[in-house]
Amino acid sequence: MTKTNTIGRSIAVGAVLLLFALPPIWLLLSSLKSQAEIFQWPPSLWPQQPTLQSYIDTFSRANFLQYFQNSAVVSVLSALLSVTISVMAGYALAKFRFKGDTFFFLLIMSALMVPLQIVLIPVFLVLRDLGLLNTLAGVIIAPAATPSGVFLMRQYIVSIPDSLLEAARIDRTPEWRILLRIVVPLALPAIGTLLAFNLVWRWNDYLWPFLIITEQQNWTVQLALANSVGRFGIDWPRLLSISVMSVIPMLVIFIALQKTLMNGLMAGAAKE
Amino acid sequence: MAISNREPAPVAGWTPGRLGRVAWPYLLLLPTVALLFVFTLYPLIQGLWMSLFTRGIVVVPQVESTHPVFVGFDNFLHLLDDKNFTTSLFKTIGFVVVAVPLQLAVSLGLAVLLAPQTRFYAFVRTIVFFPSMISMLIIGVIWAWLFGRNSGLINYVLSLFGIEGVPWLENEVLAQIAVVIVWVWGGAGFNMMILVAGLTSIPKDLYEAAAIDNTSKWRQFTHITLPLLQPSIMVVVVLGIIEAFKVYELVVSLTTGGPGRATVYLIQNIYETAFRTVNQAGMAAAQSAVLFVILMVLTILQLRFARKRP
Repeated sequence: MTKTNTIGRSIAVGAVLLLFALPPIWLLLSSLKSQAEIFQWPPSLWPQQPTLQSYIDTFSRANFLQYFQNSAVVSVLSALLSVTISVMAGYALAKFRFKGDTFFFLLIMSALMVPLQIVLIPVFLVLRDLGLLNTLAGVIIAPAATPSGVFLMRQYIVSIPDSLLEAARIDRTPEWRILLRIVVPLALPAIGTLLAFNLVWRWNDYLWPFLIITEQQNWTVQLALANSVGRFGIDWPRLLSISVMSVIPMLVIFIALQKTLMNGLMAGAAKE
Repeated sequence: MAISNREPAPVAGWTPGRLGRVAWPYLLLLPTVALLFVFTLYPLIQGLWMSLFTRGIVVVPQVESTHPVFVGFDNFLHLLDDKNFTTSLFKTIGFVVVAVPLQLAVSLGLAVLLAPQTRFYAFVRTIVFFPSMISMLIIGVIWAWLFGRNSGLINYVLSLFGIEGVPWLENEVLAQIAVVIVWVWGGAGFNMMILVAGLTSIPKDLYEAAAIDNTSKWRQFTHITLPLLQPSIMVVVVLGIIEAFKVYELVVSLTTGGPGRATVYLIQNIYETAFRTVNQAGMAAAQSAVLFVILMVLTILQLRFARKRP
């Protein structure tokens, strides 16, 4: 590579870093400024007197801990539920031949064509009839079945050798034990990936809670956030601090499971 | 797929054990299928049915004025004169046409720039990917703050070059541009990773052979990289189109649809028709049906492309 080429490349990489790292960092820095400094013009790049005042205000005024707890309960339980039923369905589609297996596979995949956005009203009515409106149970159960989750598990479980399952059956091992003791341990990498993805999806989800939750005490963090944005007058210090706090769990998951998440995505993209 | 429930000998009657073994895969499928039926497939059918009626959201059997009235395809005809709907549909199509190619160009550029398999480039990729971990709602907040007229970093940087007070989110055209920019920023990392996966599967010796022949970098890109990357590019484009048609959450926190109705796209219009106006649930269902047909065609195309991949 020529020298100008290398320099050009370095500049490009530097610009990319700036463009993608700066916005989240700017959010964090702004949230650490005082009420007066936040609207100061020209803006100070670095907080002159870093303060946690915005965070203290947010925690004392709104039931933020409650929203945080709701979000945590919803994402953890919904992710666990989703992974459990995806493993079950993926195993059935990968390792059994039964009447209607292709039909069920296509039925599940056809749900890909129906995002929540286009069935808002009927889903609202179903939730109402089932008594799930304004309950966390609704936000946990309703989004749990995902075609992509079933597909991911099916693709992974197909690669588990049949001989292992056959050997267990010859030993008259009950079917549920084969699932729990052989299939689940061998599928752990895929289960981990799917669990991580689901935690992120459910934590970040806005539309389901938006449709289901009406009372403030049941708000998730995303709902609290959306409700702090009005057409008129935005309480910026509050909004910025809520945003930072709602990103922190994702940052933790990302740092802890970064390889799993990014490689899982690449494997999925390569396999599709 | 494997045949697993092999019986040692054909058994006539049903024994509990055999029944259990036959029922087992169905039991495994039951939770997923039941949930998808209740929360996806049944609502879809009900939604399509609703699009043939004039009705509100809530129907009370005892109150006659709330009973749905069958109108056939009238709702769909009315959609043609419904300015809010046609405007939001054209805005959405315009958004798709501008944002998807731009996102492809940006993620392709990022993928080519950041593909080298070294620790440094892996780190840069991580930074670029991180926005994919943040909800679109928060991405909207971050950028609304950056775009702020008298408080935003962007206008501050521009003011250093003598450009003062650009009304990013207060001007109809600029607000739509802002939504495109932010949408591309939010999805670029995810799509970059799909393309990087495609790039790493291109054999290195092709480039080495081209280099020996003194082929320019640009010709290598157009004659080797692009053709071999085509399957990944199709995934990015089709997924991008489907996502772009559903653009909504980002708008909630970035512009709330404004200024005026400048950034009200289809989903927001459907929601407002259904929940903010009286007796318009049938119209909202008709709008949803239109979007469903669009998304169905796109999904079928996507599955076709996916199947063609090696």
